[in-house]
Amino acid sequence: MAGKSSSSLELFRVRHIPDSVESRPVSMVAAEPKSVNPAASKRYYFLLMAPAILVLAFISIYPFFWMIYMSLHEVDIGKAEWNNFANFTRLLDDTRFLSGWWLLFQYSLMCLTLQLIIGVFLAVALNGSRFEKVLVTTLLMPMMMAPLVAGMVWYFLYNGTFGWYHWLLQSVGILGPKSLLASSSTAMIGIVLVDVWQWTPLITLITLAGLKRVPQDQLEANMVDGASPLRNFLSVTLPNLYPVLLIAIMLRFMDNFRFIDSALVLTGGGPGNATKILPIYLFEVSFKFFKLGRGAAIALILLIVTIILGMLLVRIFDRQQPSKV
Amino acid sequence: MASRDVVRYETPLSTAFKWLSAIFIAIYVVWTVLPIFIMFMSSFKDLLEAFKLPAVGDWGGIMVFFDFTPTTKHYYELFANLGFTTYLFNSLVAAGGSAVVSVVLGSLCAYSLSRIDFRGKSDLFFWIISTRMAPVVAVMVPLYWIFRELDLVGTLPGLILAYTTFNLPFAIWILKGFFDNVPYAIEEAQMVDGATRFQAFRAILPLVAPGIGAFIVLCILFAWNDYLFAAIIGSGGAKTLPAATRELVQPQNIQWGQIMAAGVVTTLPMMFLGLVIRKYLVTGLTMGAVKE
Repeated sequence: MAGKSSSSLELFRVRHIPDSVESRPVSMVAAEPKSVNPAASKRYYFLLMAPAILVLAFISIYPFFWMIYMSLHEVDIGKAEWNNFANFTRLLDDTRFLSGWWLLFQYSLMCLTLQLIIGVFLAVALNGSRFEKVLVTTLLMPMMMAPLVAGMVWYFLYNGTFGWYHWLLQSVGILGPKSLLASSSTAMIGIVLVDVWQWTPLITLITLAGLKRVPQDQLEANMVDGASPLRNFLSVTLPNLYPVLLIAIMLRFMDNFRFIDSALVLTGGGPGNATKILPIYLFEVSFKFFKLGRGAAIALILLIVTIILGMLLVRIFDRQQPSKV
Repeated sequence: MASRDVVRYETPLSTAFKWLSAIFIAIYVVWTVLPIFIMFMSSFKDLLEAFKLPAVGDWGGIMVFFDFTPTTKHYYELFANLGFTTYLFNSLVAAGGSAVVSVVLGSLCAYSLSRIDFRGKSDLFFWIISTRMAPVVAVMVPLYWIFRELDLVGTLPGLILAYTTFNLPFAIWILKGFFDNVPYAIEEAQMVDGATRFQAFRAILPLVAPGIGAFIVLCILFAWNDYLFAAIIGSGGAKTLPAATRELVQPQNIQWGQIMAAGVVTTLPMMFLGLVIRKYLVTGLTMGAVKE
């Protein structure tokens, strides 16, 4: 502990073992060796797998075929009529469908940019701070909240007559008497801010996990050579963070497609169509006007786009950890 | 942690950065906590007190926020007259049921997937994960149609099945990573001692039990917090807390006190559970891609 001798020994200690080098004893294989009777063991494992696969097939493949069927028919309560791809051709000149994509893109981009900038900065500021544990736990709170409840609370805060957040914005002089959600030019910012409020901590957590893996010796060596902290951050820390940030970006991007709960309560797509991102439009078509055939056509397109995005995501995951899958 | 052997130079720039980040953290924590704090406080306020605001720019007036006599009447109203006991029960059954179904079926499937190789395994995996990533609204369109034919709309089994669409793939995906870390040698040793295959599987369960427990909790969290399925598939007979909270919003008469109380009822258990499984949270929320 004390004295010079221990600190000179310190020099010889390996501080950081890269994950790729970490060795495992040979017996740590999870897969069953080939020597065990292959036919019998396959039968056994497939039997264990069957219930999950069957349930999953019933709630994903079967509905998928129904979705295709519905998208080709005029669907009404209890009956479906073939309508010559009208559900799809009508989408071509449906301005709300096209603007829905554009708004979804804008929404995702705004959410992601803000979350990344704030989240990464927060993680860098928090990393190694004395209160890191307490603060991170505090930051977790919004993520545990139902997005619908978060939407309701923010709806209350944004309110033009009794909302505290509105009062704050007005007092600072950013906003007039009109609520943030009431005007079509600012409503999008309103729903973006709620998403940022709820999910930036996730980016912070992911970044913090990534920061722990940045090789410290490299940072120190650079510092000895006279590199500034900023330079160090840009040339060592950031490149090391890149893989985890990529995961964070993809996850948030997918979630922006998946969840519309808070936006649905905050604006419901309004005012006008200013925040009618595609999933909200789809929800309206299918479950407000009950045009299920048309809804299925939109859903099919949304699903295909999401699956393509998902394919990219899985490929990135694969590159991250070759041992998986 | 960084070693202290290297001299760190305190430049004016780094001191400025330190202060800047401290201020930033402080502001950020306030902005994160404030909405939740306001929700808690408002749930104990009378409606008129909850609406009290200082004049624009009157910073000293912030204190009116604390100027109220606490009342629990909103909570009483929720549970005594608005049927929230039933909704709480529905939430518990739907979330708990789907979590248990998903994790039980999921762990069997994940275990098998980690033990054998077969052709098309990666395709199977991709299908499983893409089920999880499908947008909820898109999945719901055909699911609603099918469930209506089967009379599952508005029932708890229907809702449990609906939640399984995202919980089961999640459980399979994430538990496979857990079973991958359990060497086959342990089962082999069990079987040499005369255990059957299934007994050997049961023998390794304690090794993955903490993970399984944590992911049951995460599945509960995902299902509990869902609104869309609850609003459409659960509409009528199987209303859960978020769906019931939404219905407190009437066009002319928004019961803010009750909404805030319902928000607290919905949020508190999940915050508690989040703390319990803190260790697994990042792994769970990133589908196992990031570990702390």
